[in-house]
Amino acid sequence: MNAEQKRAWLAVVSGIICLIGYLISIPFVGPQVAVAIFGLYGINGISGLIGRKERPDERDKIIARQATLGGFAASYGALWVGCMGGWLGAFAWKGQEQISVHVLGAIASLGFMVMWFVRGAAILVLYRRRLEAGHV
Amino acid sequence: MSEITNCIRRLRFDHHEMTQEELARKVGCTRQTIIALEAGKYTPSLALAFHLARAFGRTVEEVFTFHDA
Repeated sequence: MNAEQKRAWLAVVSGIICLIGYLISIPFVGPQVAVAIFGLYGINGISGLIGRKERPDERDKIIARQATLGGFAASYGALWVGCMGGWLGAFAWKGQEQISVHVLGAIASLGFMVMWFVRGAAILVLYRRRLEAGHV
Repeated sequence: MSEITNCIRRLRFDHHEMTQEELARKVGCTRQTIIALEAGKYTPSLALAFHLARAFGRTVEEVFTFHDA
């Protein structure tokens, strides 16, 4: 297992732990406070320290690039869902004409987390799949 | 659909049972990539194909075979 795979495992496992922790916390503290558990996802900030001396070769670079593209595509989807969800929740459901500015930060965080999680999952999948150089 | 196969594993054994690690170091890639190449899970770039062929003192066509289906 190389450094990129270790980083990917950290992203996926910490993401799953945060999601489970969030779902478990909801009955005790409510959905708005339970969101704080996603702060644990910040542990991925140390992933840059994993395998700093390892030099990726052409296959590693292709996989990282494909996974990053997939991650960004997923984050755009998450941002769209977050924006529409925010609008539906505040305007259509609660009848509010204004949306709290704090929602923007939550949506941006959601986009980042989805990007990092999907990128990690894609890396783990791509290392098992057949690849051709030049197919990016 | 086309497929490219290789005989890297056989050539390694023909060259004093060269290890995957030694070959990887020689051609400038990781051992994981050599494993993927031997398993047919990765088709390398032209540059890496030339490096591999030169590591065995062969031509690219001797190491890689192109199957056009």
